[in-house]
Amino acid sequence: MNTLLLIAARNLARNRKRTLLLGGAIAVVTVLLVLLTSLFNGTQASMLRNATTLSTGHVNVAGFYKITSGTAAPVVTEYAKLRALVEKETPGLQSLVIRGRGFGKLVSDASSQIAVVSGIDIAQEANFKNILEIVHGDVNRLSEPHSILIFEATAERLELKIGDNVTLSSQTYRGSNNSIDCKVVAIAKPLGMFSSFFAYVPLQTLRELYGLDQTTAGGIQLYLKDWEQAEQVAAKLRIALDKSGYRVMDHMDLPYWRKFDIVKREDWTGQKIDVTTWMDEDPFMKWTLFGFRALIVIIFMVLLAIIIIGVMNTLWMAIRERTREVGALRAIGMQRHTVMAMFVTEGALLALASSTIGVILGVAAAFALNAAHLKMIKGFQMVLMSETVTLLVNVPTVLISLLVIASVTTLGSILPAWRAARLQPVEAMHSSN
Amino acid sequence: MHMATTPAIEPIVHLSNVDKDYKLGAVTVSALKQVSLEIAPGEFTVIAGPSGSGKTTLLNLIGCVDVATRGEVIVAGQDTGKLSEGDLTRLRLNALGFIFQSFNLVGVLDAFQNVEFPLLLQKKMNAAQRKERVMDLLNRVGIAEYAHHRPGELSGGQRQRVAIARALVTFPRIVLADEPTANLDSVTGNQILDLMQELNREGTTFLFSTHDPHVVSRAGRVVRLVDGRIVTEPEQQSPMSHT
Repeated sequence: MNTLLLIAARNLARNRKRTLLLGGAIAVVTVLLVLLTSLFNGTQASMLRNATTLSTGHVNVAGFYKITSGTAAPVVTEYAKLRALVEKETPGLQSLVIRGRGFGKLVSDASSQIAVVSGIDIAQEANFKNILEIVHGDVNRLSEPHSILIFEATAERLELKIGDNVTLSSQTYRGSNNSIDCKVVAIAKPLGMFSSFFAYVPLQTLRELYGLDQTTAGGIQLYLKDWEQAEQVAAKLRIALDKSGYRVMDHMDLPYWRKFDIVKREDWTGQKIDVTTWMDEDPFMKWTLFGFRALIVIIFMVLLAIIIIGVMNTLWMAIRERTREVGALRAIGMQRHTVMAMFVTEGALLALASSTIGVILGVAAAFALNAAHLKMIKGFQMVLMSETVTLLVNVPTVLISLLVIASVTTLGSILPAWRAARLQPVEAMHSSN
Repeated sequence: MHMATTPAIEPIVHLSNVDKDYKLGAVTVSALKQVSLEIAPGEFTVIAGPSGSGKTTLLNLIGCVDVATRGEVIVAGQDTGKLSEGDLTRLRLNALGFIFQSFNLVGVLDAFQNVEFPLLLQKKMNAAQRKERVMDLLNRVGIAEYAHHRPGELSGGQRQRVAIARALVTFPRIVLADEPTANLDSVTGNQILDLMQELNREGTTFLFSTHDPHVVSRAGRVVRLVDGRIVTEPEQQSPMSHT
């Protein structure tokens, strides 16, 4: 009813100071929520882009080959046939890359360290080249046999520089030890907490290390048009592979390099396929994002509770001041539900106007912060896999934020409005307020 | 028991042996005792009596904003003791008009909107019909030129004129006024009484309370209350007989 809206708007305007105070608080909460969700979206996009380029696809079709029950090699045999099947059975597939998977030791003259080693075909890895920031050397030289890319921390620990040789040592799928010497051709800036444990060699070099032929690979990394569909796609692929005669491993929420000991203890031989998602392969990122999201929810809940209390108090005051008016309106024939609607309209109008202003300011602040290219604190850079603060304004998220804040703060007005509606006209009319 | 009747005309208000008690902690206070009263169409009746005599309580019962403890209150043909809260509200909206001592206008609406408000609650007229009705009334009470002024921009007399227009806008069967001149100076009070009398002559039934002897002297009929009882009705007059 237009008149109720008019009464609400004019009452808000009449109590300008109180309206500005509470409306300002709602707007500030909305700004914070927009910034926090945009920061989360930005961080998630950045982490996901980096992680899914470095060590995992959105979905991975890989597996283990056991020549005896006590061994385990992260190998898929006849990967071309598997690739054809996967390409056919993966809904929303955007692209895929073939990777080799390894786990061994890097030994230099100075020191040694455990490393998760990926075999790549650098000619097929445009994203990989875009994402890594090479500080020394040339990433394209990974096309050379027995070349290796390491991160700065590894180079520092093993005292390696471009052109130095490092020995990569691992156990072949037959269970014997093997090692090859690789020349350092590129050193990259750290990218996340675990980048110091990653190293990249040409796929063929990794095959040599494990004594494998051209028909083998570590796995197929799949990139989807909608990464949020990863789990559903993985589940569908497990079924499709099983139906096509592949033995498929039970789903384990672990990266492949933590499955070696588990698989070694299992009593089977031959090939098994393991379908995983980015959350399985990078649990650190999964838990980081989960923690970040939980933190946002907690902060949001606290702020929202404060706002609801503020809205309730403001309406209590408004109702106390206008008790006689309520009594008179009830006397002239206003029904209880209309009295309630009158005060809820006031709360809703304040909530909607303030949160809309908050959204506009929040989006503007997000763009301003992006334009400022703010450097992230060093510790956060490692965890969040980004040097700068990146805010990604996602329209549905912003609209949901607006809707949630406006709805919840409106809900806060229902109890005072209900109490106003319950006022007896005779008592309200003779109220001293 | 005093029964005021207006023979041969169906009364708008009929009270029969009405008591109204209030609980004040453990004590029960009788505000009205065995009150019987009838108000016929066209009357210009004053409920007179000292403070605390039960005038407002009686108006509240007739105005359906309160219910009797015992006895029968029939307003516009409906037994108010048997009506639900919603039905009482509808009865107030459609059959009664209220004028308050403190005007009780909606401060954020202008004069036009205040007068229009009961029509919006009724939802019976379209915008054009409402505008015509409201402007007619504002003209009638002499403040059409202030139609777009808010109550805060009007004098006490002007506000009460707006309140009168609001009370009349729904074509009520009876207009109830609780000390309508109490917050006005004597000149303005007289003007308001003049207006109410003019409207009464045009057919509107008024029932109002006062303890001002001057106002009492202008009434067509006086119902005197003392300690919650009707004590005397010196002049039993026919509707509009004061004219």
